[in-house]
Formats: sequence, C-alpha cells, structure tokens
Amino acid sequence: MRALVLLLLLLAPGLTTAQPLVARLSTDRVDVTTAFVGESVLVFGSTEQPIGPGGDEIIVVARGPDTHFVVRRRVNVLGMWLNGPSAHFDDVPSFYAIAGTLPAWRLLPEEVRQARGLGLDALPLTPSSGARSPQFRAALLELKRAEGLWLEDVAPVDIAGNRLFQVRLPLPATVRPGVYEIAVHLVRSRQVVATERMGFIVARTGSAAEIERLARLQPALYALICIILAALAGWLGSILFRRS
Amino acid sequence: MQIYLPIAEMSVDALLLVGIGFGVGWLSGLFGVGGGFLLTPLLMLIGIPSFVAVASGANQTLGASVSGLIAQARRKNVDWRMGGVLVAGGLLGSFAGVQLFAFLREKGQVDAAVALFYVVVLGIVGLLMVMESVRAIFRRVRARPQRLHQHSWAHGLPFKMRFRQSRLYISVLPPIAVGFGIGVLSAVMGVGGGFMLVPAMIYILGMPTSVVIGTSLFHVVCVTASVTFFQAVQVGGVDIVLTMLLLAGGVAGAQFGASMGARLRGEETRALLGLLVLGVALMLMWNLVIPPESLFSVTRAP
Repeated sequence: MRALVLLLLLLAPGLTTAQPLVARLSTDRVDVTTAFVGESVLVFGSTEQPIGPGGDEIIVVARGPDTHFVVRRRVNVLGMWLNGPSAHFDDVPSFYAIAGTLPAWRLLPEEVRQARGLGLDALPLTPSSGARSPQFRAALLELKRAEGLWLEDVAPVDIAGNRLFQVRLPLPATVRPGVYEIAVHLVRSRQVVATERMGFIVARTGSAAEIERLARLQPALYALICIILAALAGWLGSILFRRS
Repeated sequence: MQIYLPIAEMSVDALLLVGIGFGVGWLSGLFGVGGGFLLTPLLMLIGIPSFVAVASGANQTLGASVSGLIAQARRKNVDWRMGGVLVAGGLLGSFAGVQLFAFLREKGQVDAAVALFYVVVLGIVGLLMVMESVRAIFRRVRARPQRLHQHSWAHGLPFKMRFRQSRLYISVLPPIAVGFGIGVLSAVMGVGGGFMLVPAMIYILGMPTSVVIGTSLFHVVCVTASVTFFQAVQVGGVDIVLTMLLLAGGVAGAQFGASMGARLRGEETRALLGLLVLGVALMLMWNLVIPPESLFSVTRAP
C-alpha cells in the first residue's frame, strides 16, 4: 500500500500535465513609509478540479515574523490598577491569518489541523516563563484579534467560476517588518493534497526606515540630531509666528 | 491625514498631533510654561506608548523652550552662573531619572509609575499654586513692603558662592539638589519642569523674580536636551516625526497664547495654571483608579 502511494507520488507530476493548484500573491513587498496606514495583500490562484462542496477546498494561511510577547494582568493595589503577574510567550507569530472556503475545522480531521497549525487554537501558545494560568493565553488571543494582527476566518475565500479563488489579507498599520509566509492548501476528501508556498516582505522604506535604522544603530547620533532639530524648529517657529 | 511614526510603530492622524501641539502651545504661551505636563499625558491618552510619549514630550519641550530662552537672554534676564549650578544637578538628575525609567520599563510598571508621578507631583504643585495665588489675590488689597528675599535654612549651608545677578550669596548645595530633583522628574514625566522649578527658585533659593523665568528656561532647555539624549540612547523612545509635528503646532500656538497672556494679571494666571495642573492630576488619578477595560495587556518583549 505504502509502496503504491510512493509510486503514485513519484509518477504524479509526469502523469498530470496541469498542476492541481496554482497560487500567486498580488505583491512580494509591502513598503512601510511615513504615509503607511496598513495594506492588504491579495492571494489568488486556480485549481484543476472544481472548487466547492464535494470538490476541492482551499485554506490560506499567512504567518508574520516570530516575536516574543509579554502578557500582563492588572491587579488592584491600594485602589490603583498596576501591572501584576505576567506570562512570556516566545516564538509566536506577530501576524497570523487563516481563511478558507470553509473554516479549517470543517475541512480537516482535528489531528491534521492541529499538526499543521491551521487555526488560532492550533498555534502552540504555551508560556515559556511566568504565570501558567490559561487566562493569559486567552487574553493574548483576544488582544491580538482586537488589534487585527491575528485573524481567523474573517472573510471566506472567494470563488469564481468553480476554478478561481481569491482572498484578501488585511495588514494593519502595526504589522512588524519582516518575512511573511503564505501557504495555500488544497484539501480534497479531508486531506491536504497540494500546497503552494509563497512569501512577501514587509519593509520600512524611505524616511521612516532611515529614522528607525539610525535610532537603532546610532542612538547617540540620532539623539543629537533630535536635539538640534527640535531646537531649530522652536527657534524658527518663534520667528515665523512672531506677533509683535 | 494619517502618518506613520517610525519609533512608536503606529499610524496617527498628523492633524490631530499638530492640533494637540497647538492647544498645548497656546496654553503654555498663555501661562509661560513649557507645557510638557499637559503634552505627555495627552499623548498617552491618544494611545502613544508611554515610553515614546515621555521621551518625545521632553524633546518637544526642548524645542518649545528655546525661543523663550533666546528672548530672555537678549533681555539679560538669565543668571548664567546660577543656571550652570542648577544644570549640573539637572544633568545628574536626568541621568538618574532615565535609569529609573528603564528599570520601571523592564518591570512592566512604567505606565502606572508615570501616572503616579504625575498624580503626586502635579497634585502637590497644583494645590500649592492655587493656594498661593488665592492668598496673593487677597493680599493685593493691603500691600506690604517686601524684603529682598526670604532667608531660609537653605542659606546656612557650606560651599557658598556669589551669584551676582540673583543678588545671592548662598551654598551651591540647594541649587544642585533642586536641579537634580527637577532632572529626575523631567526624565520620568517627560516635562521641562518649569512649573516646579520657578516656585523652587523663588521660595527655596530666594532668587529675584526678574531672573527666575530666564534662568529656569536655561535649565529646562539643558535638562530636556539631556533627557532626550539619555532616553534615545537607553530606552529608544524619541520619535522625531512625532516631536516635529507637535512642535509645528506648538510654536504657533505659543505665540498666540503669549500675546493673550500679556493681558492677564499675574495672580489670576497662576490660579488658572494651578487649576489646570490639578485637573491633569485628577484626570490621571481617575484613569489609575477606575477598573480597566481589559485586565490584561500585551506588549512585545524588547
């Protein structure tokens, strides 16, 4: 049985001339300039077999660069709300979006979905240190959802003519610069039969990038520039707006 | 018109920032203060992370105070010697303040700590201002001859130095201590500290009012520059785009405020300023005391 499957897999590209799944992105680069207010990336493609109930289904997953989050719980101390216990979450995607022709849990067996990390509840969110209460995990999910950085089935994948599909991934203005990976899975009879992987980068450009880079790499020089610019602006402004 | 702030890593309405700058500038021109104590809480209120609000607030106060210093220096209203001693303390204080700030940030307590500093400091200063000006308004009725300055405990300490322009012969320790204290507050609260420095100069150091404004502006400019420097190097919260937008509105507003302030009487102005300071303290206390919308908050670990 296993040998047969292997044989089929080896022969598959030769047997079928058309690919079962083709997908592309509308862009391979998102520029974060000083005018950046967020952007959306279009994931589109087509399948060989018809998409829809009983046929092929599509799941699109996007992951931004990993980061570390600290979730803090406020506690009441002497009538004031201060930050109390905290939980650290390491290597968590700063951006995550999943969309499908149907929600992933309806398309795939639970263990496959968990193993492939398809869905917010399938993200490995265990605190690396700090408080262990599951409340922190729930709070992280809720807060990231509210910020529009973790999206799950916000809008379904759009299908046109049984073959074409497209979905728009909205990136809010708070997206982290870095490499974003997109995977498009083709699901047939509750199995992932093909996957297309793509990526785009979110990069600061123009003056926003230069300011951030200078502040990070040469903070002393940046500080001096800030001091001089502020002083000059204050002095110039007082001349321009003098009312006497 | 949305603009992306590269250090705060967020997108804010540029006109809102210019407007805030104008409003704060107008009030600061009216009352003759830097306005940092209004600006930093307002920035935090519109969602700017507190470490960015504090550092950029100090940076904007620097810009807002420069023209005032130039004007005062031209009129020879700056006691450079006294200013130098104050600034020596102020630089040390701002360095210490930024260390405290960085420590609090690491502990995740910076928001509450900044708010608490505001509540305590502004609460006390505002209360004193209102009481003092009310008393002054009543005293105006029966004017009394005034002494050159009050002699206090501050005049009995060692390391005496002659400050010609302030007509003082006092120890350098009180000015250094005053400068240090203001420096710490400036670094933690993102203010220039003029509204605390001016009464300290009059009541603790006994300086004549003619040189107080100019000398305090000298201190504010130096200390906010130093806070900007240490904050940028150690915490990385100075957002120059934010600063420049605030200054664009601020310098215009200050000129309008100043021309209006010239028509107000000293005591009334001070009473109004005191009420404003108290108002900010109460607002921040309210934010600290009411149950938060969400018990949890999330930040990216540095």
